[in-house]
Amino acid sequence: MDAALKLWTVVAIVGVLNYLSRLSFIAIFARRHVPVLLGRAFRYVPAAMLTALVLPMVVAAPPGDPAFASLPKIVAAIVAGVVGFFTRSTLKTLGAGMLTLWALQLAARAIG
Amino acid sequence: MRRVIANPDFRAGFVDMLPAALALMPFGLVCGVGAAAAGASLAGAIGLSAIVFSGAAQILSVQLLAAGAPVAVIVLTCFVAGLRFLIYSAAMAPYLRPLPPRWQKTLAFLLTDQAFAVAVRRFDAGGDARAAGAHFLGSGFALWLFWQFTNVAGYFVGNLIPAAWSLDFAVPLCFIALVAPHFRSSPTIIAALVAGGGVLALASLPMKLNLIVAGVAGILAGTLADFAKEQWTPR
Repeated sequence: MDAALKLWTVVAIVGVLNYLSRLSFIAIFARRHVPVLLGRAFRYVPAAMLTALVLPMVVAAPPGDPAFASLPKIVAAIVAGVVGFFTRSTLKTLGAGMLTLWALQLAARAIG
Repeated sequence: MRRVIANPDFRAGFVDMLPAALALMPFGLVCGVGAAAAGASLAGAIGLSAIVFSGAAQILSVQLLAAGAPVAVIVLTCFVAGLRFLIYSAAMAPYLRPLPPRWQKTLAFLLTDQAFAVAVRRFDAGGDARAAGAHFLGSGFALWLFWQFTNVAGYFVGNLIPAAWSLDFAVPLCFIALVAPHFRSSPTIIAALVAGGGVLALASLPMKLNLIVAGVAGILAGTLADFAKEQWTPR
């Protein structure tokens, strides 16, 4: 398939599916009750999906780098997690995580 | 249109979204860089940011496109990563019920992680549903607008940003900001541990299939732990 056509196919299908997911209980199933089991499972979607999204981004070392190259990111992610847990603020979590990472990278360069 | 922009609730919503929109700027830049790196045209990059309008789905799409994954895999992965929209939709539904269908359909399009957080806070503050709806429209529109600007900026100038700044790291940080406040009950922590352990253990699976398998396993583990906890809690 042509690359541009493939991209637009993805945009169209994912766009429609995303919109239908967002619209689902607001309009499509508005008059139905959420089944008990589904309602229970729903509670754990953010924790499971977001963790599965985040961990590979934090842990994976860039190709060619030794495994411990991702250590500063792991520490910065933990600091960000603690800040996020207590403040619930995106901006503060982002700031804490980036500042920790930059400080560790500077320290690593000073030592290394 | 002018009447909407002049609405004080719409304006208040727009302003209330600014801190989160600011925090998402690096994420938007990274999405734009990713689209350019995957060889998307400018129109294709804008198609992703304006229509798909979900950072997670955009990042996954361009990475999987660049890796040559089939459309079916890309669509399934984005759908599973977007399952949380179902929850936001279910949680928003009672608040939006008093609004006309046209409003419901518009606001649903603007339903994102950040807009959900801002809107719930505003609806819970009480008052007229219409006013809260206008506030949601303002906050959702603010985020959509900023998202388009940052994506296009990333598409053009993203590669000028020094690699030493580690801008990519802003993406997991934005998700950490969303997930960290959830870790207040044992089933939630179990769901995250199973999903996180699974995604790393299955990292060798092709085309990010580990994300789907581990995510679903985490949801099931959390649900089971929830029922188990209920069974063993003395009443």
